[in-house]
Amino acid sequence: MMASSSCGHEECWLLLPWLANGRLSHAERAGAEEHLRECAACTQELARQRLMCQVLTEPERVTYAPGPSFRKLMERIDGRAPARPQERPLGRRDAPAGRAVAWRPPGLAWAASFVLAIGLAAFAGTAYRWSLPRYATHTTAAGGTPGVLHIAFDRSLPVGEMEEILRSAGARVVEGPGTTGVFGIAPVTAAARLRADPRVRWVEPLTGTEESQGAQGRRTREP
Amino acid sequence: MKPTSYSDRGMVEPTYRGSASVAREVDLMARIANGDRKAFEELYNLYHRRMARFLTRLTHRFDLAEEVINDTFWVVWRKARDFRGDSQPSTWILGIAYRKARNALRSSARFGRQNLEAESLALTSDEPFRTEELRDWLEQALEQLPVEQRLGVELCYELGYSCEEIATIMGCPVNTVKTRLFHARAKLQKLLPQLAGAGVPAPHGAGRQAAQERQS
Ligand SMILES: [Zn+2]
Repeated sequence: MMASSSCGHEECWLLLPWLANGRLSHAERAGAEEHLRECAACTQELARQRLMCQVLTEPERVTYAPGPSFRKLMERIDGRAPARPQERPLGRRDAPAGRAVAWRPPGLAWAASFVLAIGLAAFAGTAYRWSLPRYATHTTAAGGTPGVLHIAFDRSLPVGEMEEILRSAGARVVEGPGTTGVFGIAPVTAAARLRADPRVRWVEPLTGTEESQGAQGRRTREP
Repeated sequence: MKPTSYSDRGMVEPTYRGSASVAREVDLMARIANGDRKAFEELYNLYHRRMARFLTRLTHRFDLAEEVINDTFWVVWRKARDFRGDSQPSTWILGIAYRKARNALRSSARFGRQNLEAESLALTSDEPFRTEELRDWLEQALEQLPVEQRLGVELCYELGYSCEEIATIMGCPVNTVKTRLFHARAKLQKLLPQLAGAGVPAPHGAGRQAAQERQS
């Protein structure tokens, strides 16, 4: 009944994630495929496994920028930076002294940091929680809008909560976060509402100088 | 969504990219061992995207993800001479990242962990799921798994590693990897009823029933 090359149900079941991701050896694959011909359960499980692969390799909703992270690492390697990034004490409110520009972190264009852009695209459904919205790069086009706010959240805030705050205020991320977790967001009309939220450390309008830096940052995006 | 090319979709390239890219990475490692910064940057950029996504998903924090990446490459820079080529650069690097990420996750007092009730994950709608919706639920469901299972899932489905490579990365036997994935799959399926319907495009729900029968 069973071909000799076929593997048993349990063995096949264990191998299915790698049949789905295409990383089985030739022999394992042949054995598993042989078994699949006669096993509906494994066939269905394979479809689920393929779905898992598909879902977890979907296009990114975030654009990551390696450059600034790399520069931080090289500063560390060259002894120009502390061995580990220093955590700011939680709950400390860094009120920018006078103009927001005075606060800018040294050495780096703030906009081009670890994550270049997060698109808070309209996202239907209550399923949405912490995960990041899709099509991040599309929203970078919104960076050209005149009103951009600097916003800094409590560092311990999970990504999802941060997004929730922005979303409920009707705001979207257009740049950042910078080296100290500062985002550029729009529209400016969301400022009052965001300021009222205790999880937001501060919100300030983006000055013209920094706006042009933000534009530079965006150009560092990789294809 | 129809898959086009990886770059068109802006997605992370699968880790396994053929012998040419492995040879390229081996070459980069050799140059890094000699202090070549350009090579280091090239390797860093290759891995940054791959790791950024996976680590952000794991930690929910960009700063923590960046910290793990840079801690990993700090080791890569200092230990590149120790890389002997008996494993692929990719599994060697991810092995370092795995340990760093695991430690970061274990000291998870550093960040708020969402403890969701299993039943809160179930979608109430009987509509066929949408991929992005399913991904959001899947990401939540992954949080219910022990760290090793979660990392195993990411390494397999997202980064496309083989079972043997994951064993190397995790420093455990191949069978342990299979078992971890087995348990992760069982748990995910319980948490994600809509996954159960995946095998049957139509009629919706039949696969769910089959899965429930098999589970009982
Ligand atoms: Zn079977």
